[in-house]
Amino acid sequence: MILQTALLIGLVIFSVLAIVLRDLLKSAISLAVASLLLGIIFFRMKAPYAGAFEISVVAGLITVLFVLTIALTKSGDDVRESKIANWVFPLVFVAFIVIDALVMKSLLGKVPALPAAAEAGGFGDVLWRGRTLDLIGQIAAILAGVFAVLALFRKKDKHE
Amino acid sequence: MIILFIVLPLIVAGLLPIIGKVSRRVLPDALANATLLALLVYAVVAGRGLIADGPVLQQLSWLGEAVNVRLALDGFSLFMLMAVSLVGLAAGLFSIDYMEHYGAKANFYALYLVMIAGMNGLILATDLFSVYVFLEVAAIASYALVAFGLGRDELEAAFKYLMLSVVASAFLVVGIAVIFGLTGQLDFAAVAAGLKEVNAGPVLGLVTAFFLLGFGLKAALVPFHAWLPDAHPSAPAPISAVLSGLLIKVSGVYALTRIFINVFGLTPALSAVLMALGAVSIVVAALLALGQKDMKRMLAYSSISQVGYIVLGLGIGTPLGIAGGLFHLFNHALAKGLLFLTSGSVQQATGTRDMDEMGGLAKRMPVTAVTNLIGSLSIAGVPPLNGFWSKLIIIVALVQAGHPVYAVIAVLASVLTLWYYLLMQRKAFFGKLNEKWAAVKEAPFWMTAAVVLLALLCVGVGILFSSTVTTWIQPAADILADGVHAATGSWGF
Repeated sequence: MILQTALLIGLVIFSVLAIVLRDLLKSAISLAVASLLLGIIFFRMKAPYAGAFEISVVAGLITVLFVLTIALTKSGDDVRESKIANWVFPLVFVAFIVIDALVMKSLLGKVPALPAAAEAGGFGDVLWRGRTLDLIGQIAAILAGVFAVLALFRKKDKHE
Repeated sequence: MIILFIVLPLIVAGLLPIIGKVSRRVLPDALANATLLALLVYAVVAGRGLIADGPVLQQLSWLGEAVNVRLALDGFSLFMLMAVSLVGLAAGLFSIDYMEHYGAKANFYALYLVMIAGMNGLILATDLFSVYVFLEVAAIASYALVAFGLGRDELEAAFKYLMLSVVASAFLVVGIAVIFGLTGQLDFAAVAAGLKEVNAGPVLGLVTAFFLLGFGLKAALVPFHAWLPDAHPSAPAPISAVLSGLLIKVSGVYALTRIFINVFGLTPALSAVLMALGAVSIVVAALLALGQKDMKRMLAYSSISQVGYIVLGLGIGTPLGIAGGLFHLFNHALAKGLLFLTSGSVQQATGTRDMDEMGGLAKRMPVTAVTNLIGSLSIAGVPPLNGFWSKLIIIVALVQAGHPVYAVIAVLASVLTLWYYLLMQRKAFFGKLNEKWAAVKEAPFWMTAAVVLLALLCVGVGILFSSTVTTWIQPAADILADGVHAATGSWGF
């Protein structure tokens, strides 16, 4: 229970960091840590499908794409955000925490607990035996991402 | 080997950037188009043989051990694969000349083939989550393709498209998660069977609403259409053709229809909602199209309107309505593909998309003008072109099913469609030749060949509509008319 609570608090902290940090690289890494924690939570809640995909896709693939994109982007183009943006997130976040504390517990109590599906197995088993077609889809998504980065950051030759 | 539809374009896409280092133009052109041609031949020649004895469920094995790749090919999916391959090939041929000035052709084709693979994967998937995965594959490739020109407009349109698409995906994932929570299954057949057992009631209603929102955004139905009039015109012409002709139909209409009709089962309430959404899209988008000066933007609004017809037809739920909806899907893919390609020819020749600046282009670009006219008349539903028959079937089905008001709306909107397409003809191609365009020449060979191919198909399908319907449309419509039974009965459950 303590571990679970710690994981959940860590998840929230790193998710918030991913949003509020101004340095894009730190923000991307915070997101990766958050999703790693979420993946662990999924595994602990006996949902290896969700855990496997959370860790492989969000913590792995997407972070690689983010870091690659950040590396390819020139720094120094400061974009000014409106001041409202600085206020909106904390306000919404606090409001959410309040609602969560007051309402969610009773609301979630009304949803029947589902029996854990028989889907236990190792990380490899889940990906390879359980979701092979999605693995092909994931390869395709990675290809699409890589080609997109290559296309969008190419040197424009004749078109300019 | 049904999986070739997914794997072949992916393998070629993976090779293309390397090949692009050796040959910047010729080899990527040849290889990408040969792949698309191979897929078309496979779908048309082998596909019908494969499903001669009913739907095929393919379970793949790897080194003698069964792995979880289950693909289903039935009349509906084969029909969609054929449409994707056909319009995909036409746009691919068009790209040979058109994409010349964009540069990075190998990279372009790689993204293009990944998008095709994504659409094919979505069509063949038998599982809700796989549908989502391949939907994203096609979507990611399409964001990059919309932004491929790297201009300010392109990037802005791609960003807007990305943001609204992410909202759609979020709704879909939540919907899929709830279904998984309710039934413990993701497989279409198992979910269909599972939903019969649990009395889901309001929760299923919520999921339906989520899917309607998600797929409605993907299909750009009014009121979820805001992204399309920006994204589709900004993309390079062959990509506009594929986005409007195919992608909104595969990731919106196909997925929505497959899940609502074959997995959830079409209820009267859902049918009413689909028909209402369809009718609103038809009218609102047609009115918006009337006011456009930008040729491609007008075509984009017209796409929303025509998707409305498709959803209206499918939403009726009767076998005739479904057949009409599917036939219109195919005809619109051909005609809108054709129109976007010709608009690309015009844009490349004149450097503008503003119809007020054009005028008299038919004198300088006769082939483009004639093919564009064929596409316009086809979409407006003028006999004997293909669009006439599909609209007629939808209207007859509406009357038969006791929806005369919708039938009248469909007829009146068709007149509106003819109006704005004739306006486009008058402004762009007829009248006095604007002196600025005295030096304009007809589009290069491959661009012309691609539009002629599609125009001939529009005329050919119109004349041979009855055999097209029997060969391709009816088997697809039968699967949908079979309802939930199609998934639970013939896919192994």
